[in-house]
Amino acid sequence: MVIQVQDLSKRYGDVVAVDHLSFEVERGEVFGLLGPNGAGKTTTIRIMMDILQPDGGQVWVLGRSPGEAKEQVGYLPEERGLYRNLKVLETLVYLAQLKGVERGTARERAMALLEQVELADWAQRRVRDLSRGMQQRLQFVASLVHDPQVLILDEPFQGLDPVNVERIKHLILQLHREGKTVILSTHQMNLVEALCDRILLINRGRGVLYGHLKEIKKQYAPHAVRVRAPSLPPHIPGVVSAEPDDGAFFLSLAEDVSPRQVLKALLARDVEIEVFEVAPVPLEDIFVAVVSERGE
Amino acid sequence: MNWRKVWIVARHEYLTNIRKPGFIIMTALVPALGLIALLVGAFLAPQARQIGESLASFFDTAGKRVGLVDHSGRFTPVLPEYQETLVVYEDEAAAEAAVRADEVQIVLVVAEDYMQTGRVTVLTRGSGFDAAVVEDSPSIRSFFIDHLLAGEVDPELRERVADPVELEVRMLTSGGESRGMSGGWGFVFSFLVPYFLALFLVMTIFTSSGYLLQGVAEEKESRVVEIIVSSVRPMELMAGKVLGLGALGLTQVLVWIGSVWGFSGGAVLMLAVSSAAMIPARVFVLAAVYYVLGFLLYALLMAGVGALGATMRESQQLAGLFSLFAMAPYMLSSFLFANPNMGLARALSYFPLTAPTMMMVRLPLADVPWIDVVVSMLVLVASIPAALWLGGKLFQMGLLIYGKRPTLREVWVILRGK
Repeated sequence: MVIQVQDLSKRYGDVVAVDHLSFEVERGEVFGLLGPNGAGKTTTIRIMMDILQPDGGQVWVLGRSPGEAKEQVGYLPEERGLYRNLKVLETLVYLAQLKGVERGTARERAMALLEQVELADWAQRRVRDLSRGMQQRLQFVASLVHDPQVLILDEPFQGLDPVNVERIKHLILQLHREGKTVILSTHQMNLVEALCDRILLINRGRGVLYGHLKEIKKQYAPHAVRVRAPSLPPHIPGVVSAEPDDGAFFLSLAEDVSPRQVLKALLARDVEIEVFEVAPVPLEDIFVAVVSERGE
Repeated sequence: MNWRKVWIVARHEYLTNIRKPGFIIMTALVPALGLIALLVGAFLAPQARQIGESLASFFDTAGKRVGLVDHSGRFTPVLPEYQETLVVYEDEAAAEAAVRADEVQIVLVVAEDYMQTGRVTVLTRGSGFDAAVVEDSPSIRSFFIDHLLAGEVDPELRERVADPVELEVRMLTSGGESRGMSGGWGFVFSFLVPYFLALFLVMTIFTSSGYLLQGVAEEKESRVVEIIVSSVRPMELMAGKVLGLGALGLTQVLVWIGSVWGFSGGAVLMLAVSSAAMIPARVFVLAAVYYVLGFLLYALLMAGVGALGATMRESQQLAGLFSLFAMAPYMLSSFLFANPNMGLARALSYFPLTAPTMMMVRLPLADVPWIDVVVSMLVLVASIPAALWLGGKLFQMGLLIYGKRPTLREVWVILRGK
């Protein structure tokens, strides 16, 4: 277990930001921390980073208190920026040193990472001379420069163009392959689906959805199948309704009917099936449904 | 507190700020002014010498002579010791012609009713300055006194009347010892030099704590701060900044002292040291202690305040309040010169925000009661942990509130709670 959060609470004056929240992050996974704006994600992350102190509950990072584990954790905050007047390499070395890395090691690692994100030629330039996309890449690299076990990324894709989104996505997958644990907070559900193993959805400071992405999707899947075929016969046993859906058909099933039975029925009628699948549900729909259902 | 991280922050702050154009200009200003003064001095020296000579040489045989028209009859014949330097004319017309012909620089015309009125007219082609010099010149005073008293009193008395007071000041201190100073000017120097020294030190306190404020506001504005506080505790960050910038301020003071030494060949410094030598060593030791304590107090508070503003400008406005406190002794300086131990001055010495500067100004001016030293030190030493706590809290809170300044209520809630 890399991170354990137990019964965590945090309030600002009269506002409850985090309300008895519990979850765990396992070693080596990409964990999605989701929720609408103001749900308490950033507060939770700040407590895990020892920037804020909780009002109640406990947090362990790598089996230690957040303060003790700091140097093993990399953090890309949502509100981020770098020293504008400092040189690129200088910035990375300073940030690595603050995480306890020796200056020499820090230089080597920083140069290697800059190479990796195609910024090596800019190492001696000032940060303010970099384009926006370059600065975003540099910020990402800054959270990695001390070779952390755990990486917390708060909205890493915000404001990125598609090319840079791909670059960052690629980097995250690479870290995942290296066995790092990544906690990803983002509003881009397609990226969550592409990257995350497990997720936690927070709303109004409470955990409302937690577990393996696949299981959650299965749980929220409508009782339906998606069939692509040139045409469908008018009455299929067990099918309540059939709607065209983007070049295919979306068949809602009666409660006691399984997708297998429908497939059999279709084959029995000799339908030319090109694609047959249990109807998927985009994470975005689940997100909207869960949040608006509990959002009052 | 992780001192390794404190050291990394301190080193970083020192190295990045020492390269700033603002710091370089400010630090170079003193040597530059010294250089300008040196050049101007070298350029103007011949002329300056001329002016000086003509002023000093009224009765100097080498210089131009002074004419005399005596209608009263008290000053003729001229006493032997003045005959060489003085030309006597029969009437004003002759004297005027002599002035126009540049034979003499000025002519003193003593009126007929001089004994009743003391009226003396000065004829000159120069400015009114000449006349003013005549009035104040000790040699001319002696000329009149010598002639008025000639034959009536003995020479020793005559001399004493011409220069009745040879001033020496002895300050009586509570300890019973007294410190001597020769002449009124020595006395004035003895507090002017430390006064300006204190002013300079106050300036370095403000430049370096100003950098602290600026740095914090900048980190906040550029949003780099959240990355920093995810690696370093706010207290460590603050301590590192205070130490790094304190070293920067000290560097500035040392450069100034060094440059003054270099340019003047030590002359100015010798002047400062010699006039300072009239002040007991304890004043210097105490001033150094107040300097360090004052810097710590102000820097810690500046860090807190710097973190509160949403922008650099806002932070600087908030910090202006502190400058007002620190400058209080300078606003009161005319009263302080008259009575350094007045009630208000003592009261301000007990108040932490005014204590460092007030005591630094008061110490060279007078014999400050020991109780004031003890109380002000205790107050400062006690308020530094308080400033650390308060500054740290404000710093910690302010750092993560972006885009707006927290309201007083929010500040209060944070200070009370966690």
